[in-house]
Amino acid sequence: MSEERSQTTMAVDELQAIIQRCQILEESDFRGEDFNLFQVAGQKCLEDGYAAQLLEVIQNEKNKVIIKNMGWNLISPLVRCILAYKQEDDKRDDKREHCLKILDQLVQLCNPKELFLGLLEQIEQTSGEKVCPTVMLLLQPLQTVLLKLQNKKAYSVGLSLAMIMNQLTPLPVPYTKQQIQEDKLGLCQCCNAVVDFAKPFVNEVVKNMEKSSEYNDMELKEELLKFCMKSLKYPLLTAQLEQLEGIEEQPFRHFATEIIDILQDIRELMPLVFLHHKGKRSYWENQEFEDIERKNSADSLACLSYLMFVQHFGINCFPMVFSPSYLLQCNMTHIEVLLKRTEESMLSKGLDLFENCLLRMEDNSLLHQYLEFRDFINVPQDLVKVMTLCPIEHLRKKSLNMLQLFIDKFDAEGKYTLFRCLLKTSNHAGVEGYIIQKIKDQIHLSLTKAHDNVWFTRHHLISLLDLVLFLPEGAETDLLQNSDRIMASLNLLRYLVIKDCESDNQTGVWTTLAKIEKNFLKPLHVGLNMSKAHYEAEIKNKRENRREANNSNTVYSLTVSEEKMPAMTTEMQLQVLHSALFTFDLIESVLARVEELIEVKVKAAMDENI
Amino acid sequence: MTTDEGTKPEGEVQAAALAERGEDITPARDRGVLKIIKRPGNDDESPMIGDKVYVHYKGKLANGKKFDSSRDRNEPFVFSLGKGQVIKAWDIGVATMKKGEVCYLLCKPEYAYGAAGSAPKIPSNATLFFEVELLDFKGEDLFEDGGIIRRIKRKGEGYSNPNEGATVEIHLEGFCGGTRFDCKDVKFVVGEGEDHDIPIGIDKALEKMQRGEHCVLYLGPRYGFGEAGKPKYGIQANAELVYEVTLKSFEKAKESWEMDTKEKLEQAAIVKEKGTMYFKEGKYLQAVIQYGKIVSWLEMEYGLSEKESKASDSFLLAAFLNLAMCYLKLREYTKAVECCDKALGLDQDNEKGLYRRGEARLLMNEFELAKCDFQKVLEVNPQNKAARSQISVCQKKTKEHNERDRRIYANMFTKFAERDAKALIQNSSKQKPMHGVL
Repeated sequence: MSEERSQTTMAVDELQAIIQRCQILEESDFRGEDFNLFQVAGQKCLEDGYAAQLLEVIQNEKNKVIIKNMGWNLISPLVRCILAYKQEDDKRDDKREHCLKILDQLVQLCNPKELFLGLLEQIEQTSGEKVCPTVMLLLQPLQTVLLKLQNKKAYSVGLSLAMIMNQLTPLPVPYTKQQIQEDKLGLCQCCNAVVDFAKPFVNEVVKNMEKSSEYNDMELKEELLKFCMKSLKYPLLTAQLEQLEGIEEQPFRHFATEIIDILQDIRELMPLVFLHHKGKRSYWENQEFEDIERKNSADSLACLSYLMFVQHFGINCFPMVFSPSYLLQCNMTHIEVLLKRTEESMLSKGLDLFENCLLRMEDNSLLHQYLEFRDFINVPQDLVKVMTLCPIEHLRKKSLNMLQLFIDKFDAEGKYTLFRCLLKTSNHAGVEGYIIQKIKDQIHLSLTKAHDNVWFTRHHLISLLDLVLFLPEGAETDLLQNSDRIMASLNLLRYLVIKDCESDNQTGVWTTLAKIEKNFLKPLHVGLNMSKAHYEAEIKNKRENRREANNSNTVYSLTVSEEKMPAMTTEMQLQVLHSALFTFDLIESVLARVEELIEVKVKAAMDENI
Repeated sequence: MTTDEGTKPEGEVQAAALAERGEDITPARDRGVLKIIKRPGNDDESPMIGDKVYVHYKGKLANGKKFDSSRDRNEPFVFSLGKGQVIKAWDIGVATMKKGEVCYLLCKPEYAYGAAGSAPKIPSNATLFFEVELLDFKGEDLFEDGGIIRRIKRKGEGYSNPNEGATVEIHLEGFCGGTRFDCKDVKFVVGEGEDHDIPIGIDKALEKMQRGEHCVLYLGPRYGFGEAGKPKYGIQANAELVYEVTLKSFEKAKESWEMDTKEKLEQAAIVKEKGTMYFKEGKYLQAVIQYGKIVSWLEMEYGLSEKESKASDSFLLAAFLNLAMCYLKLREYTKAVECCDKALGLDQDNEKGLYRRGEARLLMNEFELAKCDFQKVLEVNPQNKAARSQISVCQKKTKEHNERDRRIYANMFTKFAERDAKALIQNSSKQKPMHGVL
């Protein structure tokens, strides 16, 4: 007991000793050694749990000058203590309370410039799960100090915000409802606290802008703008921004509203939304930096667009006179940026934004000339990638819906060009089958509607049919893999032959029949025969093997996206082979039907001629 | 319409008046956009297609509900006229206005947001009512430097433009001080207009035009015939020019990715010749275009055979060196240095590269760096007399510069000292701030 007692006094005594020595010194006579002794003694007091005593020393009027100069040295041990207490039990509440009071006193008393660096250093050094608690603890002190700073204020505010955001960025953003409610790392709460931290500075900029049009704190405004851009990219771009049932105020929606409000207040919202159409002032002489910045801001701007158009944040100040096609054109860049990603959060934002823009348009109203913009050609190709490669089902479905919607909006020539492009670029039999079906729909419309449509009849159609009615690798084409495409093509051909008489030849199919036979029907026959023979032989083989080895050892393994699929038994293999044969039979029967129809029609036409 | 209160009845009255007496301004005469002038303009001029127009407006729905107002945002709304940026009613309506005019427009949904509406403010099939004031308009500033102003008389088709190297067929008329000096139909390659006595500004503007477009271009001297003028047409130095141009047709040049290496190397030889020809005539901007093509074709070309790679490097080296020379002549020294850096990246002891970088740096007042470059020239070729004399220029300049600095700083320090002394007296009661802790 007495030993402990003596240790107490040791820590506090040491502090008293150095304090007493410094009390008689002039400020300018403090030496580096004194700073060290003060820090060590103070830290010891805190570590040994004598925060109350330390607080007393700090509150002592006589020590004001010493604290002003040396106090910031205590920030590091102080923060460590407070965070440690937080994790422990309630009994430490008292001590925690004392520590918080010490922090408060230091903020009041210390030299702002040094304290600022001391606080920033703490934020810089934290990592992992400590980031949010540390930031939350230090935001208020940091704000107070920044407001006191005389010089380089804008720079310091910018530095603080950048440092905080950089520390937050590695943290995972909660996405599901459960994750958001749990907010395990405190990110949701922390983000909103950071906005509150920034508010006085926003107000300052606003006040200055009101005072004169040629405001002098462009610098502070630029720093706030950078913060907003950064926030749009992280966490907002990866965050869930839909309203969620059961959460009254979704924290990220709240954060987004605040960020948009800041942009609006500093009058940067509209310039940002239309940024890429004006040659925006560039901060960089160096092309490379400029490119990096443009790339960085592309993500932020895409998120901003999503917030405005899909979530209607800040839409009130958006001019309501733009044409829907212009809005689509402006947003196409953003949509492309978002669809190039693979994360669910970004893909779904991209698809939502695209849907929003398309729903503003009427069907058949988008001029084909828009396809001269590169992103109008790129985006549908990105959609195809999402719908064929994305592992998330609802996104695949939505992509397909958006492709359909996009096609619907174009005029006939636009649809025609889009079909051509997608047939050439998709490299996916399923998608090609889908496009061929759409072509059939368009032909049907052209044939049934009164007004003539040049793009899906006659020579334009023939050149499109050239891309459809052929086998990519002739008779050697893998019929199984291409079955979707082949079935759709045969269906289309059957439709044409039934619907269009040789005498009318509205579609031009009869003119190009010889070519179709040469490029499509003949190789298909050959291919079917070869494939069937091959698979039948394979089945026979398997059966014999089974009889011989009574299965067991010959187990095939299959890997799908690096995941090993369960091994296939011979029985399963046989099933697969049989279903392939079934597909070939199906193709063959439709093929036979088509050829029969052609024959009948040709014969009828010949009879008529006689 | 001074306040928002009390406008509702008035707004309805206006809408009714418009429906009754408004002028149908649609080309189709389908009464889709009706207009009444509230206050006539003070100028007889109307904006042209592509012009940047500045308006204030207020928009209301049929029920009198205001859905948007530029005055609430406290800044005029700006857009490019006739380019489909705004709803059809506006492209039609604003084009009929005179500067300073205030008018009312009643717009049927087909000329506004149609059946789709525009969430969240405009419902489906809404007829819109606008009050619009045309504040100002100006021709489109093509490169944001005031050098080329375009005003479109007839809009072209589609959205694609000729690129550098595209073959264009145009009709043009050139005016200077109200006198027509040129009028012809001509076919040429964009970037090589000079061969037909066409100034560089036309080449640049063509890259922003569409097929069939007819426009008026106002060229500043830099985009015109520049300091040299054009004696052939009797045009003085630094004259401002006005051209009327119709782009009849064009065929795009192949983009770099559309060409294979062989083709690129063949073309590189041709454009190098062309660039040199322009350079010798003092047409530096035109020369830059030609040499620039070599860079864009070959700089990022990979997978070359050894022979191709050698040829490619020699073209690139020549292109960078010549570009550096052009930029020196054009007084764009930063770019000149960049080109030299790239040339020296290919051949680190290149005498011309070092010398030109030295020249550029000297002109940018970077004397020490310049001196280093000239010294390196001498290491490569001790016989280079020019470099030797440049070194002494550098030394002289450094000395002058230092002296000037010294004078400036001397003054500054005296002033600081005086100010500090004053401050010291004022603050003598307060304590001295503490420095050097961090």
